[in-house]
Amino acid sequence: MSEESTALPWPVMADVAAGTPAELMARVARGDAVAFGQVYDLMAPRVYGLIRRVLRNPAQSEEVTQEVMVEVWRTATRYDADRGSLASWILTMAHRRAIDRVRSEQSTTDREQAVAAASATTEYDEVSEAVTTNLEVQQVRHCLSALTELQRESVTLAYYGGYSYREVAELLDAKLATIKARMRDGLIRLRDCLGVTGR
Amino acid sequence: MTTPEVHALTGPYVLNALPEDERLGFEAHLADCRSCSAEVAELREAANKLGTAVAADPPPALKARVLAEIATTRQLPPLLKHDEPQKPRKALSRRSFFGLAAAGLAVAGAGGIAIDQYRDNSRTKKQNEELAALLAEPDAQTVRGNVTGGGQAAVVMSASQDKAIVLLNNLPKLPDGKTYQLWLMDKSRTMHSAGLAGGQATGDQSKLIQGGVADKIAFGLTIENNPGATTPTLPPAALISMA
Repeated sequence: MSEESTALPWPVMADVAAGTPAELMARVARGDAVAFGQVYDLMAPRVYGLIRRVLRNPAQSEEVTQEVMVEVWRTATRYDADRGSLASWILTMAHRRAIDRVRSEQSTTDREQAVAAASATTEYDEVSEAVTTNLEVQQVRHCLSALTELQRESVTLAYYGGYSYREVAELLDAKLATIKARMRDGLIRLRDCLGVTGR
Repeated sequence: MTTPEVHALTGPYVLNALPEDERLGFEAHLADCRSCSAEVAELREAANKLGTAVAADPPPALKARVLAEIATTRQLPPLLKHDEPQKPRKALSRRSFFGLAAAGLAVAGAGGIAIDQYRDNSRTKKQNEELAALLAEPDAQTVRGNVTGGGQAAVVMSASQDKAIVLLNNLPKLPDGKTYQLWLMDKSRTMHSAGLAGGQATGDQSKLIQGGVADKIAFGLTIENNPGATTPTLPPAALISMA
């Protein structure tokens, strides 16, 4: 917490507390469009960034981002803060939509773009500093680099590249069971390094 | 599949790297495996950090489009927490409810039961309850089959209740104007229409059939040009024996 915020008087602190993601979503669930606007500002860059990383095509990415954000509004009543963070709920939705799009359009061009998207050394050129602190991005980068190469490639080819584990096994010329296991232990190592919990 | 193998699927599942059939199988397992759901939740938070790491500002105009769309989009009603124990009724406990729903998934190999808040938010609790109640009937049985052209159909039925629930999973989207139609075949091999299933929805659907189930010997699924046809267009996309 910054020094400024500790100096704020109590009523303002209460307002800040009312703006936690879970509280915002409770208001969205009651049909509060203003709260939804705040959730949009908070989450849309992550949603768009992830979808764009997977799909590459900007127009398609905008379209899918719109679908996801409208779905957040529509299903806000079903969000359960006890079962995971808001960011995780929304990004899970975003990733699934992006993957559905990849799988439903398996044209050559798209696959080529996916390969480019997944190229082993992940670039972080499009990171929006408005929403993620450099620290958070650096931490992810650091933790990714702490994985074995096979773990890292298995995880990023699937997550950023949108490949199924069978396709990943093919690309990495490894056994199916090996890739499944590397995806799991890679994520476990990432979890431990990032210190995240599922709640 | 052995247990360690199933557990190893948490990784590919969280990364959305499982093919549809394996995903459904894993979700059925997930409903009954506490340690798996905990691991899935944790690995999901970790995977989604990878998403956060590539955040990029969307075009500013997108916000206006989204806000315009939500202004005309109705929100789903909240799920009711109906298990408050005011009067001890012989209702299914939460535990057995999910167990039954999972059993439905496992036997049906199709579904979309709301095991997971991240998927199928649109599925209503009512449908789940109907399915759980039907599966709880002593004479309940489930048959299933593949649909020509892709997807699976499963029928959970009870002759004593004269009721069936058809679960359609992953059916291909039909061209405009075409629709899926459900049929039940009697002993004289006459097909009786049992309603329509949306031809545009590609996800999971379930249809409740009340009455006219007990004496039927097969379930059929056809693709029709005229919704509500009285004779089925052959060959059917699926014909599944209910005997």
